[in-house]
Amino acid sequence: MAETLATTTFHLNGTPVTADTAPTDTLLDWLRVARGLTGTKEGCNEGDCGACTVMVTGPDGVPRALNACILFVPQLQGRAVRTVEGLAAPDGTPHPVQAALVTHHGSQCGFCTPGIAVALACAHATGATDHADRIAGNLCRCTGYAPILRAARAAETAPVPAHLAADRAQDFDVPQVSSGGGGAAPHPGGRQPPASAAYALHPTDLDTFADWYAANPDATLIAGATDVGLWVTKQMRDLPKVAYLAGLTALRGIEVTDTHIRIGAMATLNDLRPVMEVHHPAFAELIRRYGSDQVRNAATVGGNIANGSPIGDSPPPLIALGATLHLRRGAARRTLALEDFFLAYGKQDRRPGEFVEAVTVPRQPDRLRVWKVSKRFDQDISAICGAFRITVDAGRVTDARIAFGGMAATPRRARAVEAALMGQAWTEATIRAAMGAFSDDYQPISDMRASSTYRLEVARNLLLRRWLADQGRETSVLLVTA
Amino acid sequence: MSEGIGARVKRKEDKRFITGKGKYTDDIRMENQAYAAFVRSPHAHARVNGIDASDAEGMEGVIAVLTGAELKADGIGNLICGWAISSKDGSPMNMGPWSALATDRVRYVGDAVAVVIAESPTLARRAAEKVAVDYEELPAVAHADKALAKGAPQVHDNAPGNLIYDWGIGEEAATDAALAASAHVTEMHITNNRLSPNPMEPRSAVATFDESEDHYTLYTTSQNPHVARLVLSAFYNVAPEHKLRVIAPDVGGGFGSKIYIYPEEITCLWASMKTKRSVKWTADRSEAFMTDAHGRDHITTAKMGFDKDGRITGFKVDTIANFGAYMSLFSSAVPTYLYATLLSGQYNIANIYANVRAVYTNTVPVDAYRGAGRPEACYLIERMMETAARELGLDAAELRRRNFITQFPHQTPVIMAYDVGDFGGNLDKAQKAANVAGFPARKAEAARRGKLRGLGYSCYIEACGIAPSAAVGSLGAGVGLWESAEVRVNPVGTIEILTGSHSHGQGHETTFAQIVADRFGVPINNVSIVHGDTDKVQMGMGTYGSRSGAVGMSAIVKAMDKVEAKIRKIAAHQLEASEDDIVIEGGEVKVAGTDKKMAWHEVGLAAYTAHNLPAGMEPGLKEGAFYDPVNFTFPAGCYIAEVEVDPDTGVTKIVQFTAADDFGTIINPNIVEGQVHGGVAQGIGQAMLESVVYTDDGQLLTGSYMDYAMPRADDVPFYTIEHNTTVCPNNPLGIKGCGEAGAIGAPPAVINAITDAIGSNDLSMPATPARVWAAISAARPRVAAE
Repeated sequence: MAETLATTTFHLNGTPVTADTAPTDTLLDWLRVARGLTGTKEGCNEGDCGACTVMVTGPDGVPRALNACILFVPQLQGRAVRTVEGLAAPDGTPHPVQAALVTHHGSQCGFCTPGIAVALACAHATGATDHADRIAGNLCRCTGYAPILRAARAAETAPVPAHLAADRAQDFDVPQVSSGGGGAAPHPGGRQPPASAAYALHPTDLDTFADWYAANPDATLIAGATDVGLWVTKQMRDLPKVAYLAGLTALRGIEVTDTHIRIGAMATLNDLRPVMEVHHPAFAELIRRYGSDQVRNAATVGGNIANGSPIGDSPPPLIALGATLHLRRGAARRTLALEDFFLAYGKQDRRPGEFVEAVTVPRQPDRLRVWKVSKRFDQDISAICGAFRITVDAGRVTDARIAFGGMAATPRRARAVEAALMGQAWTEATIRAAMGAFSDDYQPISDMRASSTYRLEVARNLLLRRWLADQGRETSVLLVTA
Repeated sequence: MSEGIGARVKRKEDKRFITGKGKYTDDIRMENQAYAAFVRSPHAHARVNGIDASDAEGMEGVIAVLTGAELKADGIGNLICGWAISSKDGSPMNMGPWSALATDRVRYVGDAVAVVIAESPTLARRAAEKVAVDYEELPAVAHADKALAKGAPQVHDNAPGNLIYDWGIGEEAATDAALAASAHVTEMHITNNRLSPNPMEPRSAVATFDESEDHYTLYTTSQNPHVARLVLSAFYNVAPEHKLRVIAPDVGGGFGSKIYIYPEEITCLWASMKTKRSVKWTADRSEAFMTDAHGRDHITTAKMGFDKDGRITGFKVDTIANFGAYMSLFSSAVPTYLYATLLSGQYNIANIYANVRAVYTNTVPVDAYRGAGRPEACYLIERMMETAARELGLDAAELRRRNFITQFPHQTPVIMAYDVGDFGGNLDKAQKAANVAGFPARKAEAARRGKLRGLGYSCYIEACGIAPSAAVGSLGAGVGLWESAEVRVNPVGTIEILTGSHSHGQGHETTFAQIVADRFGVPINNVSIVHGDTDKVQMGMGTYGSRSGAVGMSAIVKAMDKVEAKIRKIAAHQLEASEDDIVIEGGEVKVAGTDKKMAWHEVGLAAYTAHNLPAGMEPGLKEGAFYDPVNFTFPAGCYIAEVEVDPDTGVTKIVQFTAADDFGTIINPNIVEGQVHGGVAQGIGQAMLESVVYTDDGQLLTGSYMDYAMPRADDVPFYTIEHNTTVCPNNPLGIKGCGEAGAIGAPPAVINAITDAIGSNDLSMPATPARVWAAISAARPRVAAE
């Protein structure tokens, strides 16, 4: 049986390594089994608990926290990876966050501790002080978190250890294609490569990739792998043909012009967040709650849209902002309004071999408000995510775009509500009347996250809240909880 | 700096934990390692008509597919519940058979029917998918009240009506009479939500059979490796005790769920013998949700009577406890002797009667989870008290004060005899720290922001130590609940403590060393704590029920007493003094009032060289002790939660949480406060986020962290922690225990605060935004336009 191996070269704890793996071997398995680095733990294998957090430094030199359990080894090409074993200095001096965890009793059973130490070290390296947010993706069942947060605070002022500075982007050649090579067996205990002819592409040139994907529409595109990772680790799916898009730098950028904000499909949620902090702060706050730091560092805007989930959190605000989706197949490009991309549950207007290239948002005065309601503040699936862009001129509503997630089988606009608002006086009476139109727009389901009644009522109340915000009762996404 | 009792010593174990060098079961890889994956039932209830493993067996890398029939044929015994509870009519509990691999019938989603042994974990899982099981689906029942309904699907043939036992405690007639004569009766229907313990380390087992010695070694995620060995040997017939070594290395949290011996450990041991390979299995998180013993899941109706002065006259409780599909190891004791015996709370109640019915359902077995029975009791009592105060128009704290037990010892009508406490003092401390006096102003300020602010109390008491052996034996326990220790002073004066307790986050390597440092004046770095290995450590009972301090450390003290006695004899002999004049302090053994002394290590050396010992004395300096306490211990305290509720969405935020605990003597305040923090976080999790959800037909909906909401850093507040110490009179260190208090005390405080905020008593856990919003909506006329 011909075994397809992917060869990936990167730095591990300061030392160059070459990994021959199956295309969908995860970094976590490779570290634990092939390298015997068992400090990185498996707590859930689906990116929810952070026990496997590693520090990954890319070409921009910024260390980021990522979940090793849903990170395929080929995604690391040219990166520098640091695990908990590599946090302390070569002479054994603990990293400041490690020392602080001891001082503040931030570890009890020790199992989540490596992931927490790495997450804190990533935050420390970038001078971040939003500690609760930085470890929102790390579950700890023992400490109640307060001691960990105290430790993080205590370590803030300590300098970044010199040995970590070596993890600047490594200048490795990124191979265009690595497939079918090598005779080496996959490592014991790792995921076996599929028996069928497998293929792994690691493109750097967008045109080449576009042609290849048009010819290979059955391939799975791997951007951040926060969802595809689960297909492999949880559903045991074979992915015989994959393309890792990490090398497509042309897809990653976010460009702000006089007329538009153009968000490349490979821009991560954490790439988008600072841009939105400037232009649409409510969107930026939503991104904070979108997923953990680890997930936001991996997950891409294009992936979140193309995935088509009814509860993906980026479509509602993007639709409310009037976003346009840019699709490409080979050399052919087309655009459509983002709301038109979502056809039905699990079905999008994307043709075989077509991929999301970008999404553009017109520049506009900031009238966007977004609220996410979920059981838990962080890292939770939305029961409801509601986005409003309502423009009022001379006391009348001149424009209303409202979009919700969690209210229908797809992210969807509330057109009846919009119609009930348009041209009307921006008054409580108008709002009360428009609240009644929600049941024309949506017949939400009852599930474990919320009942149909609750969803409808909260949607109505969010509209009321949108109006109240203009009456001086401003409520940010963050303040939904207080 | 002192390293003794009361010192905030940094933990010794942290060095390996912060560097990723901890050794957990899944980190262990044996020579010739093979991997197990279980074939699990997708049905909540089904007959198994056949298993066809031929496709799986034909896969490259598959070593074996083993089934329950083979397991049975090899004489592996059924899993058992080790605590016998009889019904009111004297009949024994109805324990249904539980085979490690089901043969004819599966009874919950996740029930294993076969195991695949393969060369890699992935291969094993893929092959498990290929095992074809012929299931004939049967009607299922998932919820306790429905299981008792007429015509409900029958989970076990020998438990008619799904009833395991119908047990009672207290005087029913007297309680009825007291209620009838009461000026006011508060009645509530209370559900205690089902929880998944979720230690961050999933369960794991590495079993290795040595054919040449007929010997087994099991590395496993256990809170009590000796009990595991005993049960695996005596009841499951895996191997005799002397041919089975059980090692629980670093264990990543337990919270009760790692007390029990599960089908997977049994199967891995047996499969190792069958395949002559070392067999490893590690649960993934979905399996953890599906197969780790759950906690809580009570449905209760209760009535509490009061006289005209607000004094409790009687308390009558009717509880249905969901046990899941099989009786787990200690399941039967949880809603009986760990629950109903605590129904007096901190209050003087002359008449209590509790009826508890335990039922089978088609869900994963339910057993002890942090607090175990006591959180259910505390939640019930403290919600009743708060609701009663509202109904009586009394301040919630005042009503409690009127009813506090103030004289000790105090015999409750439900077995427990409280030894000591200061319940009013706990409440005072908590009220002061929480600035209760300033609450009305804070509430008014929140109202101006459109938020509903509420304050809730919880005055909890628990029975810890899980002890004494004779007492638990008389109540049906199959084991004694003492603890053991051995103190070895080495020839160079360093010390090893072999303890039957097991640390899985509690910091025993540090606190246990502290009591040695305190006693002998040696640095804690010269003391090693050895635990978790049946080959190294004498029989011990393990760690649960907040017993490692009160019982485990008492055993160490008892062994140190013996060591000290021998040291006195040796030193008296060598220094030509009277034993009574020997003092041990600062790392020296001295003759009081003289300059005659020996360095600590010289005593050890003298004991082992044995050149000059008192006549007839055995060489060496090593003593063992078994400690069996005379009573439970009774940690108690007062928690005050303050919340703000957004009335539009029901989103609730805990804005302040205050704990005033009485744990008796505290060895290391850092570690004790850490236990409170963690316990309170779990309590808040139960109150606001966590709930295991099964559909009516037994499908598990909460199978991942996306669907089971665990508390994260932003969900829990910073806590204010106060201590109000009364020393436990019944053990040498005066320790009561602290491991479960937070999980016991926090839920009612949180719910009492939310119900205070929203002005409705009708709210169940978890108080998700949707539920809080529904409670607000139900209690108020709707304002929103339709």
